[in-house]
Amino acid sequence: MFGRVKDAMADAAETLRRAFAGLTVVEVAPEPFSPRSHGSAVLGVEGRAGLEPLASVCRDMRLLREAVEGQALQPFQADLRDESGWARWGAEAEVIRMTPLEGGRATRVAVPPLPRKAQVQGRIEPPARPATRRWTEPLSPPGARRMDPGLGSVEAEAGLDTMLSMAVPILAEDIHQLPKGLWMRYSLQLVRGTGVNVRNLEVIGLFRIPRKGVADLRHDPGKSRIFVRLEASAVRAPRAPFILARRKDDGALVSCYVEDP
Amino acid sequence: MADPIKLAYFMAVKEGASYLGGLLVTDTSGIPLDFRYTEPITPTRLQSILYGKSLEPHLKEEVIQKTLLKELKTPPDLFILSATELAGGWSGDAKYPVLAVQKSQESPLAKVGDTFRAGPRELLIQLSEGAAPLRAMFAASVDPAAQEQAVVKLLEAGYHMDLTEPLERVTAALQSLVVKDS
Repeated sequence: MFGRVKDAMADAAETLRRAFAGLTVVEVAPEPFSPRSHGSAVLGVEGRAGLEPLASVCRDMRLLREAVEGQALQPFQADLRDESGWARWGAEAEVIRMTPLEGGRATRVAVPPLPRKAQVQGRIEPPARPATRRWTEPLSPPGARRMDPGLGSVEAEAGLDTMLSMAVPILAEDIHQLPKGLWMRYSLQLVRGTGVNVRNLEVIGLFRIPRKGVADLRHDPGKSRIFVRLEASAVRAPRAPFILARRKDDGALVSCYVEDP
Repeated sequence: MADPIKLAYFMAVKEGASYLGGLLVTDTSGIPLDFRYTEPITPTRLQSILYGKSLEPHLKEEVIQKTLLKELKTPPDLFILSATELAGGWSGDAKYPVLAVQKSQESPLAKVGDTFRAGPRELLIQLSEGAAPLRAMFAASVDPAAQEQAVVKLLEAGYHMDLTEPLERVTAALQSLVVKDS
């Protein structure tokens, strides 16, 4: 066993000897130290408008975040909080490592002189005051007008002549509703008045029309009525039964007034 | 001998921007006894605006109708106007029974002279054999007793004349008067 360990140690020693057998020492010339200088930036003056409005920034206050206007009159609630200063210092402390200053060549830099007076830009000219003018002439009051909205009176005109110029329809009476004796009387008068045999007559209708003043008469067979055109004298004239008949032999119309008993 | 029945037919029409009315009084044969008409009334634009929708009823009832009724020498037995005017709420003079007559489409009643009350203010009247009955609609101011009396007069007049026809004549006469004036 010890023989094996001895062999192993020998092998390791030989291995190390071979590994470092070819190393050569190289001399490296030290790099000359070359300090670099940096110029300072030229100071500049930046003009800003002097009359810029103040801008207020609303910042959120964490302690009063929950406060609302409606609760403004509520008493403040003291809130006891435990805070360890040391713990906070330890948590928030930051170790700043200062880089060591390096020496270097100093370069003279011309520093421009500061302006003696700051230039104000964006100056707003004060607004000119409006000139006041005086208006002495008073407004005249408007004139009131009165207009009667009434529709007034209207005149009525007599227009009977106009109405009489229009044909008046008159319906035939139902002769079957008349008393038989009266109808016999009317028939006799019809025969006498027209001179036509009763067997040759076909009665169209019995109408009550003015005894005088009838200017025109037309028969409307479809509706068993006559159209009469009247004159002014017809208005006051008495109404009389009027029989309209047709001759059977030639179809001619015949008519006559008959007398009431 | 009783006084003959007089029927007054009233009609107001609008021709263009003018209103005019006519009142025809007839006997029971439809023969004219009197006819009065008003001059055309043309409301101004201001009057039209001020009166609004009440302009037409006011003109027809208060101005035209009352003027024409004042001209009548003898009061009529019946005052007949169109069904449209009556349905529009007639509120004129109530001295006479006011009604509207209209041809109906109803089946004939049993016999001539029969009446059928279709409503508190509406009656059907059989005027002639086999024809459709006449519809009579009364104004609110006419009580049932006055309605019955008016029906008797309508039956008597309807025997000789077409009770609805004179309104057409009044309308035609008014239109002819407007044409004549223009």
